[in-house]
Amino acid sequence: MNYIYILPMFFTLAASLLCLVKKTYFEEVVSIIAAFSTVAVAFIMVFLPSYTNHYLYIDGLSKIMLIMVSMIYASTVTFSTTYMKYIDNPSFEKHFYYFLMNLFAFSMLFTVSVNDLGLIWVGIEATTVTSALLVATENTETSIEATWRYIIIVSVGLIISLLANIFIYSVTDTLNVQQMMQGVQTNKILILGTMMAVIGYGTKGGIFPMHTWLPDVHGKAPAPVSAAFSGILLAVALYAVARIMQIVNVGMVKEFAFWLGLLTVATAATLMIVQRNYKRLFAYSTMENMGMMLIGLSLGKYAFIGAVVLALSHAFAKSSVFYLSGNILARYKSKKIEDVKGVSQRMPFTGYTLFFSALAVTGTPPFGTFIGELLIIYGILKYFPLFYALLVISFLLVAFISINYKVGSMVFSKPTDTVVTERKRVGTIVPIVNTSLAFLVIFFVPQINQLLSVGMIK
Amino acid sequence: MRETFALVGFFEILMVLFMQWEIYTKKIITTFSISSYIIALFLFYLGIVQNSPYVIALSLISAFVRGFFIPWYMKRRIVRDHWREREIKPVVSTAMSIVISLLIVVFAYVLYRVTFYNSIHLVEGSIPMALLLQGAFLIISRRNAFIQLIGYMTMENALFLFEGYLFPGLPFIVEAGIVLDLIGIIAIAGVVVRMMKDSSADVGEFDELRG
Amino acid sequence: MLVFLSVVQLLYVLLLSPLVFGILSKIEERIESKKGPSIFQPYYDLYKLFRKEIIVPNHSSPIFHRAPYVSFAMYSLLTLVLPIITAFPLQFGPTVDFIGGGLIFGAAALVKKLAALDSRSNYSHLGLSRAASMGALAEPITVLIFIMLGVISGTNNPYVINNVLQSSSKWYLSLTHWFVAAAFFMVLIVELGRLPIERHSTAELGMIDQGMSMEYSGMDLAFEKWGGYVKKFLLMSVFLNVYTMPFFVPMKLNLLSVFIYSGVHFLKLLGLVIGIALFEESISKFRLFKNFDYLAFAFSLAFLSFLAFYTTVGRV
Repeated sequence: MNYIYILPMFFTLAASLLCLVKKTYFEEVVSIIAAFSTVAVAFIMVFLPSYTNHYLYIDGLSKIMLIMVSMIYASTVTFSTTYMKYIDNPSFEKHFYYFLMNLFAFSMLFTVSVNDLGLIWVGIEATTVTSALLVATENTETSIEATWRYIIIVSVGLIISLLANIFIYSVTDTLNVQQMMQGVQTNKILILGTMMAVIGYGTKGGIFPMHTWLPDVHGKAPAPVSAAFSGILLAVALYAVARIMQIVNVGMVKEFAFWLGLLTVATAATLMIVQRNYKRLFAYSTMENMGMMLIGLSLGKYAFIGAVVLALSHAFAKSSVFYLSGNILARYKSKKIEDVKGVSQRMPFTGYTLFFSALAVTGTPPFGTFIGELLIIYGILKYFPLFYALLVISFLLVAFISINYKVGSMVFSKPTDTVVTERKRVGTIVPIVNTSLAFLVIFFVPQINQLLSVGMIK
Repeated sequence: MRETFALVGFFEILMVLFMQWEIYTKKIITTFSISSYIIALFLFYLGIVQNSPYVIALSLISAFVRGFFIPWYMKRRIVRDHWREREIKPVVSTAMSIVISLLIVVFAYVLYRVTFYNSIHLVEGSIPMALLLQGAFLIISRRNAFIQLIGYMTMENALFLFEGYLFPGLPFIVEAGIVLDLIGIIAIAGVVVRMMKDSSADVGEFDELRG
Repeated sequence: MLVFLSVVQLLYVLLLSPLVFGILSKIEERIESKKGPSIFQPYYDLYKLFRKEIIVPNHSSPIFHRAPYVSFAMYSLLTLVLPIITAFPLQFGPTVDFIGGGLIFGAAALVKKLAALDSRSNYSHLGLSRAASMGALAEPITVLIFIMLGVISGTNNPYVINNVLQSSSKWYLSLTHWFVAAAFFMVLIVELGRLPIERHSTAELGMIDQGMSMEYSGMDLAFEKWGGYVKKFLLMSVFLNVYTMPFFVPMKLNLLSVFIYSGVHFLKLLGLVIGIALFEESISKFRLFKNFDYLAFAFSLAFLSFLAFYTTVGRV
């Protein structure tokens, strides 16, 4: 047994237990140490061979997910240390927040490293349990209502994927990922099960028919939690979809997933036009990116790599966007776009970083998201007529315009008063780092490719 | 065995219809508890017939968690806030929701016959499907948080019935994990419900959560 | 012989029906720890009413005065064609089947409703409109129940249904049959006007069926009441003999067994009456609008029997 592979889970779990100790600043220090050790272990793992035993299954995809989850987790914990001060009436004490945050990270790390579709389901359901209260950190009626919607809708969606697991089990007689990767015989039940899994996990991933909880939660959760949600939680849900689609490699399922992805992109892009609340606007942007990722997963090959690159760079860029929206909310005390004026003059670092990260989440050239979306569109061109690619591009364009226009109106408009009220502290450094990481991803595309095909970097 | 399954299944459907009829939360919780016990009993019988200790263990766990623990926990919560004892204004009127719930059963039967029946060849399989959809409808048709939770657990019960009868032998660790998650969801939901104010009875007020 | 038995059955029903309801009210009063009226109170009431003067509202048409007699005659006719103390058709048995019987029931109810409309009394109109709207929803359920029994037995003849259920334990124990029985029980409660639907008190605003005979007096009222007893007695007998307890009913022409069964039938009725009394004492009245939820549930029971047939027995 190679213990290094369970170290990330061990760190987060230990940190969460330590957070129960009531001592000033102790929980913050413990969480940050655990988070950065997790990042370190995740990077070490990249150079180790793929590993699988009865319970663990760690291949290239899992390693990339581990890096992604641990890095966003680390930045979120770091950002939380400054942001928690701005919450006026928290529902619970600070150490409980960190306890939940660490458990949340644990459940995501657990999900991406287990070797059993059933346990993947358990892990994703556990993310619901651990993250639900985080959404309700701000003790207001609307945020509690949003939490409730999140719990109910996501649980119902996950019931569908549990049913899917049962169907898959009924055909294959095992839920072991490694065994199923060797090949399964396909029949109608398996295909139906896989489609249900796409819908069920898609609920958690903000995919079209059951996405309605997503803008509510992102709109009402505190900034670091929103960042963790849209950066990694949704991607972890899509990880389950990717695993199942790797196992059941059937055209019908892929086409189904493609259409769901396309519909998600279309819905998100059209709803973005009418948004007046910037947090909800960014939530729909997340949805649009998830739709693109699902399209990428469904097409496979280059598009699959594109989806992974998109997931990685989107995680950095979007988490940065949400941190910054937290900064703005703390300063302006309003979530309406028209109330926020002249960010570039009142909070220069926040303003310019927001501008760049908004460009990043919409897939503008220097950023990793651009490479990802390019690869996905290339995949669409390869398997579908030109019309579909143009359709997707036009929706992306709509999203691009509506986000950047609205962000531009927030950043570069004339401020009501010109007092500079920004402190150059953790709260601005973390987003800057994440936005630059979203750009740096492009240099690692060959490594990602190698990880996905071989499983390690020699 | 087929007859027993059909009997249990139709009894469960009847229970859900009764829940649609009922407006007192406590009675709905009791109904759910009874239906869970019946499913656990069925699983126990199944385990004895198939001579499988896992299924027996599962039935015992499910009887304890769904039959006893969760209803007990929820009833304790309800005693604390009295206004949640009764569903004052359901989304869909009661008579209508009974009829829709019935139509859902028919729909599930037809759906099952068209899709799954070609591969599974058991007509009774439509019963858990119907229960699943009915549970979802219970969530949609009510505003009371506790009743929505009951709807969710009804769906989960349906899955246990389905899986226990048609495909026994899901790995035990997975089932245990599922039950554990269920407890987690209920505990968290209990906390969230506790935080909710009276106004949660009327979802329409939350303008911020629109669009 | 068949004619003789028909007369026996008619007398049996006409004479015993008030007694059953006397017993019912006595039991209920006893459960409430009251002394209660004598079990023969309905007879005393009828006797008293027969000697009283008849008063008819000023503006009413002749329908009002004749309706109780017409409906009483219709119920008496039904007595001759339903399996009460025999499971073989009597002299008039072949004239109508279940649907026909249902139509005669409906016709009698219609006559009563017309008379109530004719009485020009507000309370009668109130009861009438309630009874009509409940009936409009209860009728489809009854029809569905008849259809399901038709599916079970392949015919609409109550005697055949009784014989099928009495001789085939497969059908008797089937889910289909028990859903139908449960649905019929719920409809029976509506038709009997018992508690979750209607309370027998003097509060006019809660009345449904009672309100319709508000303006009657004297012999008219006596026949109206007696007809009501007969109707309820018939429904209870059908519920027992056809739906739930088809046992012991003599299937062959044998005078002795028919006479013995008459006693057994009365015992069955007593059991049902005790059941209804306990049921009634343990619940309270629904608000008027909740009655429709009740009917919806009864409908869903009848419909579930349909589905149970397809999933367990029919397997089409």
